[in-house]
Formats: sequence, C-alpha cells, structure tokens
Amino acid sequence: MPTDTKRVRGPEVSQSPSLFLCHPAAVVLPSQGPRADGRQRDQVDVRPVFVRCGLVSQAKGSAYIEAGNTKLMCCVYGPRETERKDETDMKCGRLTTDMRFAPFSCPERGSWIQGSQDKDFSLMLHESLQPAVCLHKYPRSQIEVNVMVLENSGSVLAHAVTCASLALADAGIEMYDLVLSCSIRQDGSSYMADPSYEEENYSSSVSGENQGRLTVAFLPSLNQISGLQSDGEMTQETLTAGVRACIEGCYKLYPVVQQALAKAVRKAAPPPSES
Amino acid sequence: MEVCESSKVSLREFGCEQNLLSRPDGSASFVQGDTSVMAGVYGPAEVKVSKEIYDRATLEVLIQPKVGLPTVRERSQEQCIRETCEASLLLSLHPRSSLTLVLQVLHDDGSLLSCFLNAACMALMDAGLPMSCLFCGVTCAINTDGQIITDPTAAQEKESRALMTFAIDCAKRRVLMSSTKGSFSVHELQQCIAVSQKASEKIFQFYRDSVRRRYSKNL
Amino acid sequence: MFHFQKENCRPDGRELSEFRTTTLNIGSISTANGSALVKLGNTTIICGIKAELANPTVEAPGKGYIVPNVDLPPLCSSRFRPGPPGEQAQAASQFIADVIESSELIKAEDLCIERGKLCWVLYCDIMCLDYDGNILDACIIALLAALKNTQLPEVTINKETCAPEVNSEKRRGLTIHKHPVGASFCVFDDSILIVDPTAEEESLSTAQLTVVTDEADRLCSLHKPGGTPLSGEKLQECISRATTRQREIQKLIDKVICSVKTEK
Repeated sequence: MPTDTKRVRGPEVSQSPSLFLCHPAAVVLPSQGPRADGRQRDQVDVRPVFVRCGLVSQAKGSAYIEAGNTKLMCCVYGPRETERKDETDMKCGRLTTDMRFAPFSCPERGSWIQGSQDKDFSLMLHESLQPAVCLHKYPRSQIEVNVMVLENSGSVLAHAVTCASLALADAGIEMYDLVLSCSIRQDGSSYMADPSYEEENYSSSVSGENQGRLTVAFLPSLNQISGLQSDGEMTQETLTAGVRACIEGCYKLYPVVQQALAKAVRKAAPPPSES
Repeated sequence: MEVCESSKVSLREFGCEQNLLSRPDGSASFVQGDTSVMAGVYGPAEVKVSKEIYDRATLEVLIQPKVGLPTVRERSQEQCIRETCEASLLLSLHPRSSLTLVLQVLHDDGSLLSCFLNAACMALMDAGLPMSCLFCGVTCAINTDGQIITDPTAAQEKESRALMTFAIDCAKRRVLMSSTKGSFSVHELQQCIAVSQKASEKIFQFYRDSVRRRYSKNL
Repeated sequence: MFHFQKENCRPDGRELSEFRTTTLNIGSISTANGSALVKLGNTTIICGIKAELANPTVEAPGKGYIVPNVDLPPLCSSRFRPGPPGEQAQAASQFIADVIESSELIKAEDLCIERGKLCWVLYCDIMCLDYDGNILDACIIALLAALKNTQLPEVTINKETCAPEVNSEKRRGLTIHKHPVGASFCVFDDSILIVDPTAEEESLSTAQLTVVTDEADRLCSLHKPGGTPLSGEKLQECISRATTRQREIQKLIDKVICSVKTEK
C-alpha cells in the first residue's frame, strides 16, 4: 500500500479493540418477534426522522437528516461552470455526486481514502437523483451534491437520497419532484423496514432464499421509481412486495420532508406580516 | 559555543553561494554549521489557468527532503515560507505569472526552517525579483536551564524544551513569521524575539558582504 | 471592507475584539470513542476520536500514538476540491499535531498498555462541515472537548496466550494534562487587528496569527505563517486576548461536560 504523505501518519497496523473483547457481546438478533430496538417486523415501521434545511452557510443548499443514530448531511453547490467540457454538456447540465463516510462514522474506523463502497454509493445516489433534476435548464453547468455520513447506523443510502433531494430543493435547483427513499432488509419470509447497522449486516440463521437488501428511490407526486438497488437473492413475489413496502415507507417520510422544506422557505422569505 | 548572554549572540558559521545552478533563474545555497540547503527560483513564467491570480504573481514553494517524499511537516513549512516571501516580494509587478521556489535539503543539523528562509531570500535576490525588503530566519531554542540558544544544532534542538523560529525583515526588524514548538512564557517569547532581532543584524550584514563580494568580482 | 474598518465595526456587526458565539455539543457520535461538535458562528467543526490497538515503535516502547488529521471536504465550502487534502488542510493537521505535542495535552506515555508490546492509537479525525473562517480555533476546541469525552475500555494482556483482552464494560476517561485554547487574529496592514475572522475577512487580510495558551498562561504556540509584520505591542495585545479566551472556553467545556454528566 502506498504511504499517504498528505496526512499525519500513525502506526502501519492497528486493530480495533472490538476484535479482542473478552466477553464478545453476542450479536443475536431475534429472528422472530419485535426487533432489537422495539420496532415491529413485517410492518413499515421506520425510525422517526429529523430533518433540517439550510444549515451550511457556504453552500447554495444544504440539508441534515437524522434517523435513529444514522446522521448525515448534504451540501449542494452550483450551478457553476463545468470544469471538464465535453459535447454533452452543451445542451444539458451535469450532476456530480460525492458521498463520503467520516472515518469515525462506522463501528470500525474507516480510512480517509475513498473506498470502493463510497464510489458505489456515489454512483447509486447519482442514478436516483438524476431523473428528478431538470438538467436541461442548466446548460453547460454543473451541480455538485456532496454527502457526508457522520454516523452510520443503517439505511445510509436511502437517507442520503432523501437528504440530497432536500438539499437540491433548498438550493433552488429546478426539479420535477422530490426524491424519497427507503430500504428494507428481507430475512426469510419476514422483512425489516429501515434496518439498523446490525440488522443490515448480520447473517441470518434462516438460510436459503429470500435473503437480501433493497433500497428504492421514489418520486412521490409523479408516482415513479427513480432508483432501485437490491442485493441478495429474492423471489419475484418477495421483491415486488418489498418494493411496495419501500414505497409505503417513502410516503411516511413525505410530510416530514415537506414541512422541513416549507420551514426553510418561510425562514428565507418570511411571509409579509399582516398589519 | 552558541550559548549567548543577553549582550552577545552567537551563530554557527554560515556561508552562502549564489548563482551556482545554470537552469533556474536564480539560485543559492546556504550553509549554517552542518545544515545546508539549496534553493532555486524559476520565474516569472507562464502560469497555469487554474492557479492564475489576476492582479499578482502566483508563488509556489516546494520543499524536497533529503530522502523520501515531502510529508505534512514539509507542507506546513512550505506555507510559512511562501507567505513570508509573499509579504516581501512585490508580486503585483508580475500579474498573471508564476514564481516557483524549490528548496532542497542537503543536510539537516538543526535550525532547518531558518536555513530555508535564508536560502530562499538569497535565491530571490539572485533571481533579481523586486522585493520591498529582505528577510532572514533565526531559530532560538530554550534549554532546560532556561538559557536561550540561537541557531541550535539538531542535538541541542532535541534537548530543548521550546523551539522558536522567526523571520525578521531588514527594514524595521519586525517579525514576519513565527513558528514555535514546546511551551514557554510570554517573557521568554519576548526575550527570544529580542535575541533574534539582534542575530538578524549579523545575518543581514552577511547578506550585504556576500553580495558585495560577488559583484566586486564581476565588475 | 475598508469602509467598515474606519468605523471600528465589522460586516457582521461585531466589534474588532469580539468572538462569534461559540457553541459546543459533545458525545453526539455513538460510533466514536469520543466526539464533539463546535460551532463558531457559522464555522462548524466535528471531531471524532477512535481508539485502536497497536504495537509501539522500537524507538519509543513506552509511548502510544496520537494521530490528528484535519479534513476540509468539498462539502464545507466551494473553495475546496475533492481529492487528497490540500495545503491548508495539511498545514492545519500539522498545526494541531504541534499543539498536542507542545502543550502536552495528553501524554503519549499515558496511552501505553504494556511497554514494548501494546499501546493505544488515538485517531483524532477533525472535519470541517461549514467553512466560515478561523478553523484552527474551532479545531482545537473540538479536539479538546472530544478528548475530554473519550472513554477507553480496559485492556489486559492474557498471561498464557499473550493476546490482549478487552473489557468493554469497564471504561475510563483520558487524563487531560493541559487545556490549550487558541485565539486567531487577522492583520490589515499592521494597523488593524481583528479577532476570530470570518472567511471573507481572512481572504482580505494581509496576515494571520494564531496564539495558543494553556490555563497556566504559558504559550503553546505562536503561529504566524508569514504575511505583513507585526509590532511588539500588537503582539502583546493578541496574547492577552488569547489568555482571556482560554478562560472562557475552558469554562464552556466544563459546563457542557457537566451538563452531559447530569443528564446521564
């Protein structure tokens, strides 16, 4: 591995103390009954979300979202002149997405250098957002979306999509619709909506088919799906049911997101006082 | 030998040679005791569009360590040297152009940052760039007995409990740059600044002598 | 800007020697061993501390590692590009590392678990979320508060297997020896000195200066990376402002830590 000369360096190898636990906390998640955090299985029981717009003074638009312990923020810069000019940019704008995890965001410390996971997430974020943005209104310019995950407690991609669309709206970028997103973890015949980090990553005792994760990005007022990402193995029926559950989850987010946006607009341009 | 009372300031023997490289527009080597640095200046030359500043020249400082690649420490020293040079150079006379200063460490035996500054100043002079004033670097170490040592060696640096480097301008002997390590009291800081100001006179005298020697030969 | 200076007033209505409102929030990141979020006006800095186990070096068998890094992601301002850290971020990382070493905020010896065999590595990752000037001051506050918030699990070495054993139920805090706090200033042509500059003021200034002092009024750092020169009296002014600032911030940190404790 090439040494990183642009950061203060530590020792070459270091290990997380969680590897040496003398009483390893047995991560046994119940495969039946209520989930570890008390939420219900097989119901679209999403964690309550907290959203806020316009926190970052330097950005054109920004948003912060908190769902359970998952905390992430997104800033939008632009539209500004594109750095690289190809022919495609003459007619329509370019949307760039960058998603990063803070080194302290996961139970294991991450590196500062962007890993392949971050790049995959950036790409999926891009795919989910692009159909909603009126890029033809921004010829020869680029809109930058930066997402920073401060704490990862599951369903990061789903919340990143919601947060990014909120930041885009806050920046006043013309869009066809908001993009909301929700994810589920399918475990055998049951599913868990808005899974936590442990629920996302544990390997189930119920082996075999119908094990997987699904994230759906959804345009609520157009009733269209803009992004779908799934891994694992699921039957066709389970997948369709999963997509439906995700859409239901998105609708649960909708009023919260709308309120946050309305609040930000009201703050930016207070309605004329009636006197 | 370097131990100084408040009255006299002792520096290691220093030496300088200008215009010793043929490719750069200006060059100098500066030697303080066993510490030795080579400096080269390129420019004013064409600047990359991304780095262009519309009303002045863009100065870049690059430090090459003796072995290996430059690290975060070098980057921080580069910043200190660049901003010191920017303050003394009249950069607005060369708008939209680039200046590059390359500093190569030949040997490090303490007081490296001050040696960088001195080499940089001599190289800029050699390149004939317009400057508002000259500057020099002085390093002071406070050892465990509370004594102030100017121009310490690497061994003395290691034993010291505080280390300070100042860049001083020749016009009013004021502090252009300051970089410190270790903790010290306000009184000690003031003493060190006073000592450095005194030491700077010697260095400026040396600058003058060495330039005079060089041009008396040429003419 | 110059118009403002004539009136001894700043664009945001502050006086020349007035800091922006400083708010502090600690322990908000549960995946980190310790964390703090600092807001200095609009400037927002988050610091997360992650502790890992490693072998000490041969040269310093009784010492652990403290690895501070400052990151200025493109998220925090349009002036930063994606990619590896730029000069400003690198210089800030080095500055923070120097402050830790100079002030003896925490001693590397305290991080040793067994001499020559095992020690702690404290990764202090500091990240800017909103860049509106004076990040160095905010970084030091975030670092100090996060370190005070850090809890390390107890580690023993098993005599038979020589493998470390971590008991996550027994946790202890770090010993914080000193409380260094910084105060940054901007100079305009050696005549005007302002404290706690915003990003706009920073870009217009002719020199910047950061003074770091601890509770015993000793200076831990006088960092002035070039720029226009500064007279002795002005320097003295900066130092005395820095010492009062140290008191204010230490009080703030103690208050916040106290309130977090009572909540639990």
